[in-house]
Amino acid sequence: MADGLINLTIDGVPVSVPPGTLVIEAAKQAGVLVPHYCYHPGLPVAGVCRMCLVEIEKAPKLQIACATTVTEGMVVKTQTAPAKDARQSVLEFLLINHPLDCPICDQAGECELQDFVFQEGQARTRYGEFAKRFNPVEDFGPDVLYVPNRCILCTRCVRFMEDVAKEPVLNVSERGDRAFIGIHPEARLDHPWAGNVVDLCPVGSLLSKDFLHKARAWELDKTASICTGCSQGCNITLDTRDEVVVRVRPRPNLEVNRYFICDHGRMHYKWMNRGDRIEAPLVRRDGELKATDWDEALDRVAGILRGAEGRTAVALVSPGASSEALALAKRVFTGFTWTGAFQAVMGEEAPLAGIPNLALRAERAPNAKGAENLGYTREYAQALAAAKSAAVVLVLDDPDCTVETNGTLLYLGTILGADAPCRRADVILPIANVAEEEGSFTNRDGRVQRYCQAKPAPGMAQPAAWVLGQVAAAIGQAEAAR
Amino acid sequence: MGFPHKSHPKETVVLSQYFGDAEARTYKGWVKRGGYEALTQALKMDPAAVTDVVKESGLRGRGGAGFPTGLKWSFMPKEKKKPHYLCVNADESEPGTFKDREIMRWTPHALLEGTAIAAHAIRAEIAYIYIRGEFTEPWTIMEHALAEANAAGVFGGIKIYLHRGAGAYICGEETALMNSIEGKRGNPRIKPPFPAAAGLFGMPTTINNVETLAAVPHIITRGAAWYKGLCLSNPKSTGTKLFSVCGHVQRPGNYEVTLGFPLKDLLYDMCGGPPAGRTLKACIPGGSSVPILTREETEATLLDYEGVVAQGSMLGSGGVIVFDDSADMVYQIMRLARFYAHESCAQCTQCREGTAWTTKIMERILAGQGKTKDLDLLLDLSENMTGKTICVLSDSCAAPIVSGIKKFRGEFEAYLAGKRQPVMVG
Amino acid sequence: MSTSHDTTEYQPVFVGKVLEELQTVLQRYPNKQAALLPTLWIAQREAGWISDRIMAEVAEVLGLTPAYVKGVVTFYTMYHQHPVGKNFVQVCTTSPCNICGAEAVLKALLEQTGAGDAGATSPDGKWTIVEVECLGACGFPTPILVNDDFIENVTPDKVPDLVRKYR
Repeated sequence: MADGLINLTIDGVPVSVPPGTLVIEAAKQAGVLVPHYCYHPGLPVAGVCRMCLVEIEKAPKLQIACATTVTEGMVVKTQTAPAKDARQSVLEFLLINHPLDCPICDQAGECELQDFVFQEGQARTRYGEFAKRFNPVEDFGPDVLYVPNRCILCTRCVRFMEDVAKEPVLNVSERGDRAFIGIHPEARLDHPWAGNVVDLCPVGSLLSKDFLHKARAWELDKTASICTGCSQGCNITLDTRDEVVVRVRPRPNLEVNRYFICDHGRMHYKWMNRGDRIEAPLVRRDGELKATDWDEALDRVAGILRGAEGRTAVALVSPGASSEALALAKRVFTGFTWTGAFQAVMGEEAPLAGIPNLALRAERAPNAKGAENLGYTREYAQALAAAKSAAVVLVLDDPDCTVETNGTLLYLGTILGADAPCRRADVILPIANVAEEEGSFTNRDGRVQRYCQAKPAPGMAQPAAWVLGQVAAAIGQAEAAR
Repeated sequence: MGFPHKSHPKETVVLSQYFGDAEARTYKGWVKRGGYEALTQALKMDPAAVTDVVKESGLRGRGGAGFPTGLKWSFMPKEKKKPHYLCVNADESEPGTFKDREIMRWTPHALLEGTAIAAHAIRAEIAYIYIRGEFTEPWTIMEHALAEANAAGVFGGIKIYLHRGAGAYICGEETALMNSIEGKRGNPRIKPPFPAAAGLFGMPTTINNVETLAAVPHIITRGAAWYKGLCLSNPKSTGTKLFSVCGHVQRPGNYEVTLGFPLKDLLYDMCGGPPAGRTLKACIPGGSSVPILTREETEATLLDYEGVVAQGSMLGSGGVIVFDDSADMVYQIMRLARFYAHESCAQCTQCREGTAWTTKIMERILAGQGKTKDLDLLLDLSENMTGKTICVLSDSCAAPIVSGIKKFRGEFEAYLAGKRQPVMVG
Repeated sequence: MSTSHDTTEYQPVFVGKVLEELQTVLQRYPNKQAALLPTLWIAQREAGWISDRIMAEVAEVLGLTPAYVKGVVTFYTMYHQHPVGKNFVQVCTTSPCNICGAEAVLKALLEQTGAGDAGATSPDGKWTIVEVECLGACGFPTPILVNDDFIENVTPDKVPDLVRKYR
């Protein structure tokens, strides 16, 4: 223990971990996943499911790995017959009342009960012809359904609401095999972070109404991304099926959002699938917008910029644009007197009380800090006024922008309504949304985080950073842009 | 005394001396009978000295576990940094056991005195007496006695409160009892932490049974050597114990004998044995959670902790349930399994599902629909339910099943073979 | 798991003398949550049973959530979650009493009170009989509780007098 670490052996593999580490965590270092249900690193230890029973030398009985702290020289064995038999028996007990719902259950394919039964359960049940316990499905609140028949009473949901959300709105009701997760009729599960119970549920007992019967887990492609719902910068996974985003789930990041995301962010994805996209570059010819190819469109833009060199430019941007695009939206105006501004939609802050520095932030935009760091300000009204007399105005992904200018208006965006003020633009260029590109955001704490592409952009749309990079290259700003 | 019967000469009357004596319930009556002298004496002693006396006496927990009481008290922190608590376990719900209620309803002050002495020994400022909700008469009597004793100011600075349970056997488990006092569901806690380190409200706590504490004043006034001398067999089992004898005996009741006493004498001499014309078939010596003994084993048992273990069971709470040859062992084991299924708190998978499943299998056997492999299944499930859970309720459900199938297999097989009329509807 | 919708105006339980009683109870514990079981006993004494609405009031008074209180209420069998007859009778049928005829006592009570089934309330509203687990009086079979009266040594032949006494 020279360096303050505890040395132990798990399934023959030596590991060294800090004092106070739980055996179940230490096992991960040995490459051993001890099967478990009620344990979750983001929740207080319960020790109730009994699934993680392991053999520890010198201990007279099997011990639960989730509640046993490592000691120097400990020898842990997870694959001995007593340990495996004990775990197999837990699975058998869990299955006697668990309905054979896999064909109709959302959790199938990402179900921890399926996984461990397949890995170490029995192929048959001995329960025979006894009836299984039955309770009807309950609607817990805005997005959460509870299917009591499938519940294995791991109590992760109860502990999340009590200890992490600090609002004990779920309970365990009744006793013995009559127990179920209950809720009081006067309180719904409408806490801003309640949706996490669906992720935490190891089986298909707590379900998202939004995701109900939408897709099968094995049909989903999973892509790492960053939530665009606010400036917290929670790490998420975008689940897509056939190139449509169907679900958002949290991605663990101990520094930012731990294991959770709020309901606002969770539901903030349908817009990524909008069909009414700008699909081709549009340039104004003879007073009308005409669809064209990128070569012509980029040429046009480059020409506009060359022609207005040395004069004033205003960039009105979305605080949801990538830092790469925002940097280039300034770079292309090198030599101009440049003003850049953004405005963020504001909402009510909703902290996750049990975790410091984690909340749905009032600023409902992912990259306001990134924009600020690049020189954009929040003085939007002034920028709008300055735009009037500016030579070039660039609007980046703000379809409701009401800017009027005597100069040239360039619009880069994903959508643009038929009556939108920016339809007056000289050039309209289609760009990818957050799900269709790679990029980075800077969250409110100054953390730069990367997001990846989950699906292809529609039509001829390209990432805004690519578009502006091409422009920069065309007007000789390529070196600096790189 | 063999309350409600007259004292039997073979009893060693210590705790039960005043059972049936209404005046002993009053403060004045109790003082007249020598009450509160022990407390006065103990309050003058150093807490550690009180613990030493109890340690020396060999007193062991009378709730069921038989853990040495003085040793348990010594687990409390030596340095007093936080509030200490004493919890008195008056949740008596182990089938076959009915001794603590007699102590409370006849000698409430004995319990209060023992509580105060124990609180002093472990330096607890507050003691909660957790009385099961169904004990309405003991509750009223304890309330009255507590008010009298408080008015007389006998407890020094120690505060004793009564806390009423609300119908849960599992709250007799010491960590579940603490959770129940804290206003929570009566769920047992995982250990560590142990109560002496972090118990009630997270503070150092000791939990003792009613009968254990009722013995403490006697040990103080008559001395550890006296208590240690009360021993008929193994020197590790000292003192007297109230045995609650019930079921198929002519004179059921609480009988106080010195540890090491022959069970045979208790059942036949003192309780009159089974009703006329019947023979003893089985006996559960320590409350329903311990293995069932056959007649031979019963008649060979010496009633102390080691003696009962030698016969393959446990002294437990001392609740002696007697079955004569008219008893349907299969039905009674089913009824016990059903008890555990009702009382399971639902935390641990094996207990929550296993208690109900084993009950269902037993019911099916009694309905004439059992299969031969059901016995092996019951034994296998029992093994899966043993030694793998937070508390031992799961193990307790398995005990009668395993010992029942082992020792009364013929009765099971009679149902399985259709030789016995089904007594339940399938 | 569903609750009935009560349209009459709610009469709070913890007012006046009852609230004073609660204050005394609160002094015994270092925090309000610990007073939950005694508070529920008071509520049941006052209202006869513990409805969802009363659970919400108890929650408010103790600084807990209604769901939390409900989780506790449903754990303990002695708290009634629905109205019961004027005489709530608990009959022990666990093995020690079972082998001494407890089931016959239960049957006699069910028949002679008109309650019919265990757990049901008799048509005249006077009786609810339930089967309970060991009442801790195994040497005095069969013990029963009629509300707070603990009665020992009940046998089927004593049932008619008992029913008459409490009706």
